Amino acid sequence: MGSRQITEKSLAMLRSLPRISLANLRDNPGAKKNTKRGRGQHGGDKHGAGNKGSGQRMNYMRLGYETGNNPFYLRMPHEPYYKGHHLRRQYPPLSLHALQSLIDKNCVDVTIPIDISTLVKSGFYNFFPDQKHFGVNLTDEGADIFAAKINIEVQWASEQVIAAVERNGGVITTAYYDPHSLFLLKDPKKFFQSGQAIPRRMIPPPDAIEYYTSAENRGYLADPEKISQERLKLSQKYGYTLPNLENEPQYTMLCERKDPRQIFYGLEPGWVVNLKDECILKPKDKELQDFYAS
Amino acid sequence: MTSLLINALRRIHLSLPTQTAVKCFSTSSYNSNTLDITKKDWKFPPQYTKPREVWIENLDSIEEKKLGLFELHPAVYATVPRIDIIHQNVIWQRKFRWVSWAHTKTRAEVRGGGRKPWPQKGLGRARHGSIRSPLWRGGGIAHGPRSGKSHFFMLPFHLRIHGLTSTLSAKLAQDDLHVVRDLNLPSDEPNYIIDLIEQRNWGPSVLIVDDTDIAPRNLTAALDALPHVNVMPVYGLNVYSMLKHDTLVLTQSAAERIEERILCHLHSNTRKQQAAFKLDQV
Amino acid sequence: MATVWRSQCTFTRILSGKTCRILNNAADLGSKLSPTSQSVTSRKYSNYAHSPLVKHIKEQYEFEVVKKPPEWTYVQRLLPFDTIPQVTPKESYPSGWIPPKDEAKNLPFFIERTRNHELPIYLDITFRGMRKVSAIRKIEGDIWLMNDEVKEYLKNKYCRYVETRVHELGGFIEVKGDFVNALRW
Repeated sequence: MGSRQITEKSLAMLRSLPRISLANLRDNPGAKKNTKRGRGQHGGDKHGAGNKGSGQRMNYMRLGYETGNNPFYLRMPHEPYYKGHHLRRQYPPLSLHALQSLIDKNCVDVTIPIDISTLVKSGFYNFFPDQKHFGVNLTDEGADIFAAKINIEVQWASEQVIAAVERNGGVITTAYYDPHSLFLLKDPKKFFQSGQAIPRRMIPPPDAIEYYTSAENRGYLADPEKISQERLKLSQKYGYTLPNLENEPQYTMLCERKDPRQIFYGLEPGWVVNLKDECILKPKDKELQDFYAS
Repeated sequence: MTSLLINALRRIHLSLPTQTAVKCFSTSSYNSNTLDITKKDWKFPPQYTKPREVWIENLDSIEEKKLGLFELHPAVYATVPRIDIIHQNVIWQRKFRWVSWAHTKTRAEVRGGGRKPWPQKGLGRARHGSIRSPLWRGGGIAHGPRSGKSHFFMLPFHLRIHGLTSTLSAKLAQDDLHVVRDLNLPSDEPNYIIDLIEQRNWGPSVLIVDDTDIAPRNLTAALDALPHVNVMPVYGLNVYSMLKHDTLVLTQSAAERIEERILCHLHSNTRKQQAAFKLDQV
Repeated sequence: MATVWRSQCTFTRILSGKTCRILNNAADLGSKLSPTSQSVTSRKYSNYAHSPLVKHIKEQYEFEVVKKPPEWTYVQRLLPFDTIPQVTPKESYPSGWIPPKDEAKNLPFFIERTRNHELPIYLDITFRGMRKVSAIRKIEGDIWLMNDEVKEYLKNKYCRYVETRVHELGGFIEVKGDFVNALRW
């Protein structure tokens, strides 16, 4: 009896059949539906359009119209509680469980600081800055199984998430990126190919400054001493020993943080990256350097 | 080393048609020392299906000489051949570049027909607004072809890759795939190629695929006179050409390059590539 | 290196509005810019009438081209993957992801992993939730044997007959019902 393996069977079957050529190709039965108009007794006459009315004459009323009575989409008035909901900042969530699965499958590199651009690069997370998405929100689903020492920078994180990350010896920071910087982070290759200089990151708007300057949220503008105090507080609250970061080999990596005006790790604002020739153009003019350093 | 060759020979004895089986036994018996068998380390090693092995042949002489044994990745050269996907690829290749230039005039474009031919009421005749409406003889066509209609559409990326792998697997399974060391011919006579094809029992039409788009002078001079034998670089490989020509001849580097590129596409995130041609379907 | 360069004082300077000459995030400086140093008193630059005239704009700025810069590793980090990275073996996988086993290759049938190293077992829900089908794709080898084993396993687990559909050429088995969790582990 021949092989029962599918590929071997099918390829062996081909050997006894005529050569596959343009003349003996066919699609699967039922793949193509006939688009011709029906003629004759069964397909013809009214061609499935019924009798008179807008069904046959194709002059329907506008969508949502209910022949005069107050239509459904106009019955409900505006409510004050959701005023401005379309203008609020949104942070599409990413769970700690998903992050752990990315780390397990080697999609994000744990030996370098994790950024929103690394998350987008892995292919498993996506966000759209033009739809008022202001970054990634790390949720606490999977906080109990999370076991990875990482240096991660997100835009929103709750207390549980911060505790879960710090318990494993990692470092978490919340940072603000303005929409233009987020476009750059989402597709850095496209930005580098456009040949523009890396711009500076803008400071958060007034209603977000409080969040990013508080040490509880590990804001990037907060006082480092207060952050270490908060780390101690959280460790006492959730009952784990705060690991001593100074003694670890990845200390420099865990301490790597971005300047408040910096968008990419290691690349300063004002630089132009040339991908084709693998070089970086740095401004020498004092005017430009002062501008980008401010 | 020798055991692998013996296994290969045994396998080939079972699978090749009888004409070439005798030949390969005769060649192996006296020059088994000069055969080189390349064992490859793959970036994406084959998981379950065994890799295929092909002979590396030569184009130097009309007689077939086997210069070595070459391994091919099963994900590219031993997939289940999907005839429907091959068909879809062929239809796509034929249609996406085609522009239909058929054109008919509508009732507005036909000359005349601005005036109402007779009054609405009173005559006992049917009511009409113009003499060029689609109901009339000589009138415009209601839903006819309109000139410059393009039939462009892009078959999804993975379907195109699947089409390529299916055709390559089908060609290999039906003994229409040959791997050649290089394309250096001893002479630039077209008759040499014709005799070679005749001798080796390759199909009358042959498609030669090379890695670069610069071919040796002898080859191009010989093939210039032959319309049914064509040479093509790797980036021009397509399902329609592979099916149109009976035999496919790849150079060793071309076979490796095809494998490398297809495996790269099979193991990468192709969302960006697909997004470029994603049309809003109505 | 990307360590914290500046201290708090930079940020407080920004907050107090001393650098309000920077209007937007553009690379070029814009026409309303003056190269004079910032003054301590606040200036109303939001108004065209109150902003100072432009003194001098240079057409071409000086720059240096650094070939093979040390920061190129940072640039390479940002570029997308060529192919999806392979999985390195680790002691434990806390997320519950099970790596492919080598012993599985000796069985008469084999299920290949997807390009993202996941199992190709999917749930199709159609007819407004009334039809649920668990599909096992990418099957190689003896599919009929696999079909028998799947039916037997699910019958023992759920104590009822389970209907399946085998597509040999397509290499998939469709199980009628929602058995994705059972089949996955």
